[in-house]
Amino acid sequence: MRSLDVDVVVIGGGSTGVGVVRDVAMRGYKAVLVDRVDLAQGTSGRFHGLLHSGGRYVVSDPNSARECAEENVIITRIQPTAVETTGGLFVTGPDDDADFGDKFLEGAAANGVPATEIRIAEALAREPRLNPRIKRAVSVQDGSVDGWQLVWTAAQSAKEYGAEILTYHKVTSIERDGDTVSAVVCHDAKTGEDVRIGCHFVLNCAGAWAGEIAGMAGCPDVQVVPGRGIMIAMNHRLVNSVVNRLIYPSDGDIIVPVHTVCIIGTTDVKAPDPDHLPIPHDEVQQMFDAGEVLVPGFRQSRALHVWAGARPLVKDSRVGAGDTRHMSRGMSVLDHSERDGLKGLLTISGGKLTTYRLMAEHIVNAMETQLGTPHPCRTAEEACPTGSADATYVPTNYHVTHRLHDREEDRMVDQILCECELLSRRMFTDKLAEQPTGSLDDLRRQLRLGMGPCQGGFCTVRATGVAHEVGTVDIDRATGLLRLFLKHRWLGLWPILYGDQVRQTALDNWIFSGTLDVEHLPEGAEVV
Amino acid sequence: MADVVVIGAGLAGLVAAIRLARAGRKVTLLTKGLGGLQLSQGTVDVLGYAPERVDSPIAAAASLPATHPYRVLGPDAVSAGVAYAQELLGDRLVGAATHNVLLPTAVGALRPTCLVPPSMTAGVVTGGIKYVLVGFRQLKDFYPKLCAANLERQTAPNGDPIIARAVMLDLPAVADMADSSALAYARALDDPSYRAKLASALKPQLREGEVVGLPAILGHRDAGAHRHLEQLLEHAVFEVPLPPPGVPGIRINEALTALAKEAGVRIVAGAKVVGFESAGGKIISVGQATAGRIRQYAADAFVYAPGGFESGALAMDSYGTVTESTFGLPLHGLGPDLVTAEDPGDQALFRVGVGVDSGMRVVDTAGHAPYSNLYAAGGILAGALRWTEKSGEGIALASAVVAADSILKGA
Repeated sequence: MRSLDVDVVVIGGGSTGVGVVRDVAMRGYKAVLVDRVDLAQGTSGRFHGLLHSGGRYVVSDPNSARECAEENVIITRIQPTAVETTGGLFVTGPDDDADFGDKFLEGAAANGVPATEIRIAEALAREPRLNPRIKRAVSVQDGSVDGWQLVWTAAQSAKEYGAEILTYHKVTSIERDGDTVSAVVCHDAKTGEDVRIGCHFVLNCAGAWAGEIAGMAGCPDVQVVPGRGIMIAMNHRLVNSVVNRLIYPSDGDIIVPVHTVCIIGTTDVKAPDPDHLPIPHDEVQQMFDAGEVLVPGFRQSRALHVWAGARPLVKDSRVGAGDTRHMSRGMSVLDHSERDGLKGLLTISGGKLTTYRLMAEHIVNAMETQLGTPHPCRTAEEACPTGSADATYVPTNYHVTHRLHDREEDRMVDQILCECELLSRRMFTDKLAEQPTGSLDDLRRQLRLGMGPCQGGFCTVRATGVAHEVGTVDIDRATGLLRLFLKHRWLGLWPILYGDQVRQTALDNWIFSGTLDVEHLPEGAEVV
Repeated sequence: MADVVVIGAGLAGLVAAIRLARAGRKVTLLTKGLGGLQLSQGTVDVLGYAPERVDSPIAAAASLPATHPYRVLGPDAVSAGVAYAQELLGDRLVGAATHNVLLPTAVGALRPTCLVPPSMTAGVVTGGIKYVLVGFRQLKDFYPKLCAANLERQTAPNGDPIIARAVMLDLPAVADMADSSALAYARALDDPSYRAKLASALKPQLREGEVVGLPAILGHRDAGAHRHLEQLLEHAVFEVPLPPPGVPGIRINEALTALAKEAGVRIVAGAKVVGFESAGGKIISVGQATAGRIRQYAADAFVYAPGGFESGALAMDSYGTVTESTFGLPLHGLGPDLVTAEDPGDQALFRVGVGVDSGMRVVDTAGHAPYSNLYAAGGILAGALRWTEKSGEGIALASAVVAADSILKGA
């Protein structure tokens, strides 16, 4: 067993965890973050991409609304490459209660959420596909945020402050020395090795899995209720700003433009197990129906992919156990020294991606209170490294043509491995060299490999062939990578298969089965 | 007015049109696109898996479910379809319907097929074979090392180990281009001087007794390119089919299109058939959406060979409703759970299609023909998973021949 010693172990590589490890590292602690899989592979990579203006909560949850409004400005400043400042609209559908708009405007004014009612004609001029029968429109400062980019830039900042990030490290036990936490033991899924991390403090940021982690430390009954929501990516930016229904928060009431697609979300149903989130047929139909209300003809657009995420909602006795939408989205920090008599362990849950930095600040403050070593939080002041050559990057609307521009530049010297997402061979081999044990899905999250209309039909074999050719993977692993990637693409396709995507699937079947006979290749290695 | 209108320019549509025209019928072929052949690997697959690997396709077809097109057609029709392809394409195809061969795919699987172009025959796996797979740095759809490594994990039918290694050439199809398609290479290889360049780069790297596997790029129009390269290299050479566009499929498409024109078929391409007129239980005419107006094409009989889900002739909407998009024909194979989380290639949806009687006349699930002069052929037919079975060309050929013969007999 490998061992290392740090001050603080952060468990969970979602937005909260990376925000926490960044904050801890910036305050001078030696910290390590562990996640059982890749960064932002759980809830932070499975949401609709909304950077809240706060508008959504001005009536239902004013406190969250205020926090969102403040954090929206901060995130846009410190992580500009993750944010698109699209702006947003709240619109009253033809059959919605127009009076809700008055409550909305009052709530916005009371909670510092910038909101201005605009004429219907102006809303339609901004968003030509919007339903012309809408009754009211309010302009807000919603944005869209790339959850992966947000998490990586925060993680990069943490690393620059000395933190270590260990992905694919699954926590197997938490050790205690008397009444204090003393170590976290992990299993490295890529190498098969166990790692013991001695520490003084553990911050449990495992989101929907936080109860399981707390249980390992002998702290039972931490009730985090996974609130399952489905999201569907459509093949075009049907809207260029965030479009919300101007109603009390409900299902399928938001469309968010993200990169080359737009995403409709979402449902909210209590899930027994955050690792098994079904995508029921009726919820898919509900999303399409809701899409039609905002953008007529929505069902005729091409749906690319569907996924489900698990919100980590804190159980609140004020609402029924099945009604997760109206459980508190507010964050809460559990102090296990008070609750369970165990020092050196805090659990955070609830909250939302937009307020991840604030959540981190709260839990790290709570840790320092227990340790008696207060330091100021500086995460709102200092920008994260952008990963962009342009240090003065200003967020703007996504330029869908930026990769086309890049490929025009290098088209004579490099190959395009993925035509849908305009991914070059060099981009792929560079990332592969950084992450030689990465699966094609790990690389996809960073490169958008296979995320376009053909859903891996042409690029999967190329990516596999290149990885094998450059010697990063052997033939057993190459076959395993190829098969796993195709399997995962299909999981997000089959529940929303219709229209042109059926044609695409038939073509992909002709390629993989008809021409290449991939299904009769000898077995590959099991890939993680 | 034509005697017969054929809709679709894939293998089934072209073959039906040629057979009818050669028998003296006046044939108009309407097509939206260029047909599916050029997306194919250029072999004639009859039946490769049922679901175990098949050695003798005609014999194995009898074991398929009763709803399969081969069971509706019967073994004689399948043999007749394959024989007709050989009659039309002559020395462009080698093999017999009674016997499958195994060919390496681009990822190194051993794929069963029936008739193959002569440019592929040297690749047929046999005991003691030694392959060298050759890739091009500038061609991104073939990775010879991956292909060779997978081949080495398998054995020949007699149990011998397969020996395979890879060579990567740095030889652009077009000067200074890092990213060239298979078609760009095929056009370059139409030029004997480029073949000489390729041979001089490759020959020193070849070893005694090796069979040379190149991606399927050995000439677009020059049918002698493969033989010439074998002479230059003094080694047997075979082509490995790539994902679309597939050069071997393009060659067959062009050959059949030329035969259709020679036989007098009038081809009207570039517009979709969007409607039809009927009377007295017969199709009177079909409407093609040409520029500016819908133009009606009347005929005594119609052969509908538009392909399946891949062409959009069969479609499923966002409510899960499956339709045949031109005539609104009754569909066979409908049911619950048409799409599931299991293997994307093995979905009940893709078995849905149009039903036919033994003469390829379209019928509903009760066996009644909605139109007495409408015949169907190829990918639109219900009951087969063509890509998994490796049965696409065999079904297309047999159904096209039977549909044409039914019309010729005046059925």
